[in-house]
Amino acid sequence: MSTDEKTVAVAKRRGLSLDGWAVLLAFLAALLVRAGIFRHVPW
Amino acid sequence: MADAIAVPQVRSTQSGLQLLRLIPGVLLLAAVGYAGKLLEQNVGAYARAHHWTFPNIEYVLWAIVLGLVISNTVGVPEIFRAGVATYEFWLKAGIVLLGARFLLGDVLRLGGVSLALVAIELAVAITFMTFLGRAFGLRPKLTSLLAVGSAVCGVSAIIATQGAIEADDEDSSFAIAAILALGALSLFTFPLIGHALHLSDHAYGLWAGLAVDNTAEATAAGALYSDAAGKLAVLAKTTRNAMIGFVVLAYAIYWASQGQAKTVKNKAAFLWQKFPKFVLGFLLISVLATYAFFNKEQITALANLSRWAFLLTFAGVGLRTNFREMRKQGLRPFAVGAIGEVVIAVVTLGLVAGAGKLFGF
Repeated sequence: MSTDEKTVAVAKRRGLSLDGWAVLLAFLAALLVRAGIFRHVPW
Repeated sequence: MADAIAVPQVRSTQSGLQLLRLIPGVLLLAAVGYAGKLLEQNVGAYARAHHWTFPNIEYVLWAIVLGLVISNTVGVPEIFRAGVATYEFWLKAGIVLLGARFLLGDVLRLGGVSLALVAIELAVAITFMTFLGRAFGLRPKLTSLLAVGSAVCGVSAIIATQGAIEADDEDSSFAIAAILALGALSLFTFPLIGHALHLSDHAYGLWAGLAVDNTAEATAAGALYSDAAGKLAVLAKTTRNAMIGFVVLAYAIYWASQGQAKTVKNKAAFLWQKFPKFVLGFLLISVLATYAFFNKEQITALANLSRWAFLLTFAGVGLRTNFREMRKQGLRPFAVGAIGEVVIAVVTLGLVAGAGKLFGF
């Protein structure tokens, strides 16, 4: 296995899925709202 | 050692470049979505000011229609495509945030009803699509992909199944094109049928979540009817999405028994890998909201963030739908999908009507 292939394999193992990133972003936003950093989100 | 230092640097540079590539498309999603929101506010106000009879068209429909017009006239230039493809990411983040608007008791009660209906829908959809695929002489793996796509959750299910049953890319493209075309049609037909039948928000939301294939289209079809219907559609669709691992595993085992796919060694790991993690995020936010982790203002803020995420999603649904490209994929998979969808829509409508009488909605 070449260095490039190893890198891809490691990245795949360590990388979050699309779902994982979406959940992470949503929870980060929820924490910011909870902490009062985003007090009012207009619509 | 030099490799160990150099590799992460290369990786972080590549990740940074990949993120930069997304920016134009994400900005396009935001521009189209926001234009839809402005049109909703201004067209309605203009019509009222001039005493015109004009239907109140929600931002959801404006955003989808604007996206469809761009995609099917000038097309989406290459520079925007990577960012436009992030619409599924915004959809999933929006669903997780929407969890704040559900109390856990509601999720369990409505999710329980949805789960029972989903189980029946899955059995009917898979059986009927398999029969139809055989009757139309479709390739067996294409039939499996269409069955999974229409029974569970559209494109994600097809992609997950393609890997598990080792189907051809061509079969996968056929199935995805058919499911996307039918999803686009449901956006316009479902709200019309719902209004014609005077369905309640609750009944319509459940029906859209059970019968519309792709999560983005199911969310949009629900939101086009009403805010409450949109919430219910997301809940029913999320319940359906949670089944993806079990259905894909069943197909993987079947095709492995036919000697046409690899055997699944660790079934628990397979299920976890295929399980949509945003469902867990949705449940967790709902638990936090139930136990007053957020106050009322914060829940409103989270609900609005969810709406902004859906705004990008709806723009993406329009922008990625290109009817010319879909037509190239051929008529037979589309015909099988269309007949199947009509039957699934009728069956699920009957199920929802029955559940409505039983549970009083």
